[in-house]
Amino acid sequence: MNFRPLAAALLIGLSGCQDEFTSPGGCPALCPGGVPQVFEEVLTPITGSDSSFRGYVQPNTAAALLVSNGLTDGQEQVAILLFPPRSDSVLVRDTLRSYVIDSVAFSLGVLARDTNLTGVELDLYRLPAGIDTTTTFSSVDTSFSPQNLVVGIPVPDSLNSGIVRAVLQGPDLAKLVIPPADTGVLALGVRLNAPVVTGVRLLATGASAPTFLTYATLDVPDTGTAKLRSFPLTTSFSSFVPPIQQADDSTLLNVGGEPSARALMRFDFPARLRDSVSIVRATLELTPVVPIEGLPTDPLHLQARAVVADLGAKSPVNATPAADTIEAGTTGTTAIEVIRLVQLWTATTSGPTALVLSVAPEQESASFSRPVFYSTRAADPAVRPRLRLNYTLKFPFENP
Amino acid sequence: MQRLLPSLLCLLVPSILLGQSQFGVRGLGYPGREVSTRALASGGAFALFDPESSVNPASLGGVKNLTAVFTIQHNSTTQENPEGTASLKDTRFPQVMVVGPVRQTGANMGVSYSNYFSRDFSVATVNNVDIRGVPVVTTDSFSSQGGLSDLRLAASFTRHNRWVFGGGFHVLTGSNRLQSRLVFGDSTYSSSRQRSEVSYAGIGLSLGLIRQFGPQFALGLMARSDGHLNVDRDSLRVSQIDLPYSFALGLHWVASRKLDVASHAIYRTWSAANSDVLAQGGVGAENTLELAAGAELTTSIKSPYLWPLRLGGRYAQLPFPLTPGIQPHEVGVSGGSGMRFAQQRGGVDLTLEYVWRSEGAYSEHGLVGTIGISVRP
Repeated sequence: MNFRPLAAALLIGLSGCQDEFTSPGGCPALCPGGVPQVFEEVLTPITGSDSSFRGYVQPNTAAALLVSNGLTDGQEQVAILLFPPRSDSVLVRDTLRSYVIDSVAFSLGVLARDTNLTGVELDLYRLPAGIDTTTTFSSVDTSFSPQNLVVGIPVPDSLNSGIVRAVLQGPDLAKLVIPPADTGVLALGVRLNAPVVTGVRLLATGASAPTFLTYATLDVPDTGTAKLRSFPLTTSFSSFVPPIQQADDSTLLNVGGEPSARALMRFDFPARLRDSVSIVRATLELTPVVPIEGLPTDPLHLQARAVVADLGAKSPVNATPAADTIEAGTTGTTAIEVIRLVQLWTATTSGPTALVLSVAPEQESASFSRPVFYSTRAADPAVRPRLRLNYTLKFPFENP
Repeated sequence: MQRLLPSLLCLLVPSILLGQSQFGVRGLGYPGREVSTRALASGGAFALFDPESSVNPASLGGVKNLTAVFTIQHNSTTQENPEGTASLKDTRFPQVMVVGPVRQTGANMGVSYSNYFSRDFSVATVNNVDIRGVPVVTTDSFSSQGGLSDLRLAASFTRHNRWVFGGGFHVLTGSNRLQSRLVFGDSTYSSSRQRSEVSYAGIGLSLGLIRQFGPQFALGLMARSDGHLNVDRDSLRVSQIDLPYSFALGLHWVASRKLDVASHAIYRTWSAANSDVLAQGGVGAENTLELAAGAELTTSIKSPYLWPLRLGGRYAQLPFPLTPGIQPHEVGVSGGSGMRFAQQRGGVDLTLEYVWRSEGAYSEHGLVGTIGISVRP
């Protein structure tokens, strides 16, 4: 028996098995079980359980340095830089040889600025060599005087972000003579010079961190040749200091600032929402106490993360945050979509139902925006933090 | 002819791409027919006498050799309802059977798998919902995959070549994978997807009789009870549905050496399930009547198995209405043919049926193509 025709028939028949079966539904006739309804519920954090904790990222370990011009209320920022010792001799052919400095270059990485402004300049001042984490604004303020000005580095009007550089040579090198008592250590302060009140964020780490570069000529007598050398140094310590450390109001939720603060909010998440619904949207709504400050073209990246284990200030959080950006000047309610975080709550039966609010890691202790939000302690319930949920109930599948 | 067959199939198959029904959304779904390809070609009219169909266990008496049958069916329908029009296609395998005689006993036995109900559908609705004071477009889709199968073990016994008695034991089993999905037009909303699996189990019994009155006339009778169906959702017993009694009467007349004519009527007491379906939020269930008439014209007396012409028509009520008070029904006209080859050890039957289904504002029409392949080793 020849089965080839049968095989061909089967092959052809099966090759046509492409199902398309979506009908236009007309309810209620073609909607067994009905249509899913979307419900809304607003949760507030457990009263008194929301708090801010400060000290996560210090200014000297932040990703950026803040320098400003004209900020009031003790918020003016100046950067302080300390470079490692520069040796006064170089080893050539087993012999330490002195050198003559030809020129010196400084470079700074501009991370963000108000790009609408023109005529912005970064001024570098000589500071005493002994700066460290205990250095305060008052201890260096007197050094920001004209006689200590090393160089002013103009920020090109066309530059949004990138490297700015200045070279000193000839008589200007006298401003950079390092006395023997300083053991080759150079300390500088950076202040912003601008026509209006503004600020600039400078990169503190990485390839664009502040650099002190020395170009020198070595005289090697037994060869009769002159050798050119350069000595690049990046900061061994960098930070920024304001005139007044801001005091926190414990009845409010502080986020960001220096050292950086984070806010912890605990919610009483009902079991019925955990077990019996499908959450389709969750929005964390926060009301700022004052309009959020900051650079006009440098928005703040606000993040919320789910608490994995509630250990207070040191609570571990999930890896993937819910985030939103906040422009300077925002006065209304700040909203962050946190559906993915709330879905983590519903995925377990015993995990904490809490959120941690912070600024993005690259902006912690490195932003002019320092939002302060009302907490559950606010007298007006309308300004307290709230979690607005939208959900569908379990679908009533027909049996059949 | 063997060389010609693949070419003919190439021509035929693209035109028999088939579809499923919006009338399978409610209740247990759209009822299957438990009928072979060649019986389908005559509107199902020969089903009570056709040994390759699973309607009447007594029809097994017509089997002379061990026979295996496999059926492929494709539906291509256009549906219309108040929400719009859609063209749908689907493919299924509604009938598989192995049957053969038990030597020196006058008995035949067979096992078959048939489609009892199919519930494959996906319906989508677009709504404008006010959420947080803002209108949001939502798309709600509800889909089901699966259905109920009828696994039948049957036997027949022939007495004096005039009486054929048959009995069948039916195992009804299957499941529906249900899914409800809500998608929002606003990307700040996350889609919602909920799933459930409904499984069914039940048993039934059928008895059949074929009485031959001379060489030209036969009468077929069938009675069947399907008991009740246990319904589990996600492994939890949620309901029990009473299934119908079925009664069938069929007539077969050999009008001439070339022409066979048959008809049948099947009545099913689906109203027994009405209260159970209503209790589960359904629309209800109603008794059904199916009427069919058809003929088979042999084109060659010498080779009666080569390309006979089969024609038929059918009217059937459907048990599960979409809206209360109106019972859906369908009308079909069909035609087909077939051939045996390799000394009648292999066979191919082809059927095309055009169906119209309607219930008030809901209607559909389309082509149902079926290929049946039989092997008699």
